[in-house]
Amino acid sequence: MTVPEAAVALNGIIKRFGDVTAVDRVDLNIADGEFFALLGPSGCGKTTTLRMIAGLEFPTEGSLRIFGDEVGTLPPDKRPVNTVFQSYALFPHMTVIQNVAFGLRMQKVAKAEANERALEAIRLVKMDGKEARRPHQLSGGQQQRVALARALVNSPKVLLLDEPLGALDLKLRQEMQRELKTLQREVGITFVFVTHDQEEALTMSDRIGVMNDGELLQVGTPEEIYERPANRFVADFIGQTNLLDGTVESDGTVCLRNGARVPVNTQSLAAGTPVAVSLRPERAQLHQPGQQPADLPHVTGRLEQHTYLGNALVLTVALDWMTLDVRVENLSGYSAPALGTEVVVSWDRDAAVVVRA
Amino acid sequence: MNGVAPPPAVEASPETERAALRADAWRGFLLAAPAYVYLMVFFVVPLGIVTMYSFATRNRQGGTDLQGWNLDSYARLDEPIVRTILFRSLWLAVVTTVICLVIAYPFAYFIATRRPAVRNVMLVFVMIPFWTNFLVRNYAWRVILENDGIWNDAVDATGTDTLVDWLLGLPHWIQWAIPNWIEHLPSPLFSEVGIVLGLVYGFLPFMILPLYAAIERIDLSLIEASRDLYASGRQTLRRVLIPLSMPGIVAGSILVFVPSLGAYVTPQILGGDKETLLGSYIVVQFLTARNWPFGAALSVVLVAVMLLATRIHFRSGGRAL
Repeated sequence: MTVPEAAVALNGIIKRFGDVTAVDRVDLNIADGEFFALLGPSGCGKTTTLRMIAGLEFPTEGSLRIFGDEVGTLPPDKRPVNTVFQSYALFPHMTVIQNVAFGLRMQKVAKAEANERALEAIRLVKMDGKEARRPHQLSGGQQQRVALARALVNSPKVLLLDEPLGALDLKLRQEMQRELKTLQREVGITFVFVTHDQEEALTMSDRIGVMNDGELLQVGTPEEIYERPANRFVADFIGQTNLLDGTVESDGTVCLRNGARVPVNTQSLAAGTPVAVSLRPERAQLHQPGQQPADLPHVTGRLEQHTYLGNALVLTVALDWMTLDVRVENLSGYSAPALGTEVVVSWDRDAAVVVRA
Repeated sequence: MNGVAPPPAVEASPETERAALRADAWRGFLLAAPAYVYLMVFFVVPLGIVTMYSFATRNRQGGTDLQGWNLDSYARLDEPIVRTILFRSLWLAVVTTVICLVIAYPFAYFIATRRPAVRNVMLVFVMIPFWTNFLVRNYAWRVILENDGIWNDAVDATGTDTLVDWLLGLPHWIQWAIPNWIEHLPSPLFSEVGIVLGLVYGFLPFMILPLYAAIERIDLSLIEASRDLYASGRQTLRRVLIPLSMPGIVAGSILVFVPSLGAYVTPQILGGDKETLLGSYIVVQFLTARNWPFGAALSVVLVAVMLLATRIHFRSGGRAL
């Protein structure tokens, strides 16, 4: 059995702009039919990576293949990929259908056929009836759909999306997230999606690549990224977490900054390695002093702040060297301890993850 | 006490709103009044006088009788010599405009896609010639184009003169393909080639600036989108860049075409006696031939062409020139 060919394969890709290294030695394989998210803060190199796949930037070093073909320095019009731009980049002097048919017309598809296929794509994104409109007559969400149709109509082998939902308001964004996901399953095209919104990446993608400072830090499924972050940055960037700094001890515990020892799975890290224990707020429990389960790791502190979220409360506990957030579901009848009282925060052994500092 | 005074109690009503709008309009008029009066006194009224003169009669003494209104001056526009001058002027204006467009477009695109700091420096370079008197710059061209001047040297050094001689020496059956102006290339002074060189030089900034303004406003990701959608560079230029910069193309073309059509200084200094253009011809009518009605009629034609050009500009969706 042969290994299925990667839709996109990046090998040692480096991109420098003058003295600035925007993308630093990225190796990445994106499988055919995958919904892949490149996630990271702004300026982390995720958009540059996407633009290199699109052909809008050329890599300084490394190999970039699309379904096995080296495309490193091919111009964008010679690649089987299409892009949905962040600003949509719809041609303002063309109608919706002219915009959508543009790619086909440039590929010398006859006008009648191009229009027919464009209409089909417009129906796919539920924009039928608005073919004759101009982009400025459409709302942001509608422009987004047209941009999507304009890319999809060409049946690209890979569809690239550069923060396509960034300009939409929350409700619409969530709606489009679901639709994009459904659409991707329908058309079966590989999607590479750039976003700085970790929630968006978690909900939509099959796999996520987390980037920071030009480096690809971790690639994995949303569960892997969330449950087993590769390092401190990933743990901190994905979701909310408490990071308790410490050092690995030889007996499988971590010695925290205040000298407290907590038992955790130290994996194979050598004793003396500086690490952080990542404890998600929803994985920690709050107890009155003395009422915590005896065999669980715990720390003691003072309740400092309540943050009301509606469906939950975040209780901030001040330890003597840092603060810790604990999330409590706002179930009926729940009442949080008074501010200033002494509390104990405990967690299941498996709930805390050790990450390299 | 929150320290904020309550707004004065003025009851809002349609009358209050109307009064406010009236006051606003009056203030706006007052602000515009100086320019308005200036244009009326020094532009609209003189133009009216010129138009009036074009319907008057020239008397035997070379004066103008403001009576016996007629269209005789306009009838003369059909005379062969006048037609030749009109068409020559139109043709040279068109050629100048096209050359300016071809030179300016890539340059404007280049400026518009630089960093803002670089852009500003380059725009200053474009405008530097304006710091020198137009007349002086035209005389400078005369020095360049003179016999044994820089132009001659360059022509000799590059072998262009040999090339021209060779082209003109080609057999008769192929001569039709060689434009007449070629023979003036080695020494263009006092020929149409000299005039076009001077006009292109003089009016190029008028083409670059509106083109720059138009291209600068185009979202560059549209170009990337076009390339991403399988358009070649050339197709992107034709389908995306040119349509989107059309307001600049039209504005620049009008700004070059209109002064080229009425040009007087450049043809006077760089053109020869054989190549009379509209501007010089009008001057001759007023000063030498002392036929004010005919000179006025020619001027009215010139203004009419300009108004037509402006109208095309507005029809094509352009705004301020």
